[in-house]
Amino acid sequence: MPGSLATSLLHRLLSSAGLLVAVSVVGFALLRLMPGDFAEVLLSAQMDGELPSAEALAAYAADQGFDDPLPLQYLRWLGNALTGDLGVSLITGDAVTQEVLLRLGNSFILAFAALTLSLVIALPLALATVRFRNGLFDRLSAAVAVLGMSIPNFWYALLLALVFSLTLGWLPSSGYGTWQHAVLPTLVIGTSVCGVTTRYIRSLLLDEAGRPYMRTAAAKGLTPLSALLRHALPNAAPAIVTLAGLQLARIFDGVIIVETLFGWPGIGRLLVESLLSRDFPLMQATFLVIAVGYVAINLLVDLTVAGLDPRVREAV
Amino acid sequence: MPAGLRRSRSDLGYRRVVLRRPGGVTLLAVRFLLLVLFGPQLAPYDPTLTDILNRLAAPGWDHLLGTDAMGRDMLSRLLYGARLTTVAALAVVLVTAAFGTLVGLAAGYGGGWFDSLAMRFVEGVSVLPALAVSLVIAGIFGLGLKAVLIALAAVHWTEYARVVRNLTVVERNKPYVLAAQAIGAPGWRIVARHLLPNVGGPLLVLGAYSLSWVILAFAGLSFLGLGVEPGTPEWGRMIAEARSHMRSYPRLVLAPGLSIMAFVILINLLGDILGDRWRVDQVFSPNRNQRNP
Repeated sequence: MPGSLATSLLHRLLSSAGLLVAVSVVGFALLRLMPGDFAEVLLSAQMDGELPSAEALAAYAADQGFDDPLPLQYLRWLGNALTGDLGVSLITGDAVTQEVLLRLGNSFILAFAALTLSLVIALPLALATVRFRNGLFDRLSAAVAVLGMSIPNFWYALLLALVFSLTLGWLPSSGYGTWQHAVLPTLVIGTSVCGVTTRYIRSLLLDEAGRPYMRTAAAKGLTPLSALLRHALPNAAPAIVTLAGLQLARIFDGVIIVETLFGWPGIGRLLVESLLSRDFPLMQATFLVIAVGYVAINLLVDLTVAGLDPRVREAV
Repeated sequence: MPAGLRRSRSDLGYRRVVLRRPGGVTLLAVRFLLLVLFGPQLAPYDPTLTDILNRLAAPGWDHLLGTDAMGRDMLSRLLYGARLTTVAALAVVLVTAAFGTLVGLAAGYGGGWFDSLAMRFVEGVSVLPALAVSLVIAGIFGLGLKAVLIALAAVHWTEYARVVRNLTVVERNKPYVLAAQAIGAPGWRIVARHLLPNVGGPLLVLGAYSLSWVILAFAGLSFLGLGVEPGTPEWGRMIAEARSHMRSYPRLVLAPGLSIMAFVILINLLGDILGDRWRVDQVFSPNRNQRNP
């Protein structure tokens, strides 16, 4: 059916947009639902923690529009956010937009590096486990996957820091600036997800390995490995891309603790910092950007798969 | 997400590896449960009792696992931590399971506008970053233990709603439900007496997996300084407080970390066994319950 792909993509885009609107409403509402008077919190932060007088508070609330109906306040806030004004930090008094975007970039660098590392490890491993199914190696990789799912990332990160930076002194344990600083966080995230990634790619390849075309490939004399590489892998590719995208989204969410631990100035660490210092406008902005990034990754994954897989392209 | 990626963990191939001896794992789980239940009675010391003269003592007869930087007995702290973690995680899992199941049953059996509305909402929540959302919710509610529990529950119930709803939709048209409808049983009775027992098995499996997720998330949040007060015998908090002594006394970081890992592995294996027992297949999406903070 001509145009049906466009329709379904449009539908997907619209539902993502709807979701983002919902996220922005929640992001806005969270601060207003917070215990205590939001205007008072803001004003007392500006006055170095002093409690403002009732008159000053009333004047401030009127001036900043806190007396307006909530929907109006929301629209004003959303309009500012869309034009690039995400608010002012309670602690520093600076506009937060630039800081948030800079941090977002750092997080993406880390997430992409970790995803790449995990795929570089997982793809050959998955092929090997399928080629030598039920062998020692296959079972070992299953055990490693269980381990990767059960290990607390923050603890794993500490162990690597203990070995590679505190004991061996090869890498800096914290900070940002040189490529060495990115090695440990990348290693932690990349290796902790690669076990599970291997198992998912393995099971995707196994689905393909049972298909008739694989028997044909074997009949015409292809070796098992080249049949896997030339037939099973291309057929599994769209699903693997989906998987990689989901992993990227998951990593993007999971970097929060690792960033904090290694002092990597990413968006996750910014969220934790703003939380612990109770800098609510900064927290709101950070959360909004993380949520938008996460939803955008999910959307991109769907679009990429639609473009990659002729079956999906035809079917939708 | 394409249907091919919604697969159970059993077809990842663990079955052969870990399910050979389900009795062993179950026995281990029972022992661990006993340890959790009677941990505080077994603990040789008060876990918050500081003994500065005995700080950072090596493992020995007085202190089997040594003492921490404040001279507190590590073994006692680990045992109390086991109970705290278990009680907190179980509370979250029970509340989310109850609420999610209720929503799932209502949506799946009732259908109609409530079904589409509820599933829209569930879909929406589950494509948000879980850890970031729970951090923010915890931040809003004041970073205390209650705030953290609320935060974990808020991001976690949707998986139950989705799974139960999908199971209920399948069960709803089976003969036993039609028979109950034919003899005029009221809707609530069909749901409670007929549908609920039939979705119970998969629910238990999901409960096990989500318990392991909640334990990891809880430990991660306490490591960041949310939830429990400084000095509380909680595993994540203990790791955070032992960090500055990590280089000279790695055991202070190793012991709580290994405890978390052993606990989570055990629960994951238990989930695999339950999944095998109830032949749960193609029910769970992988991207939710394996998020590792």
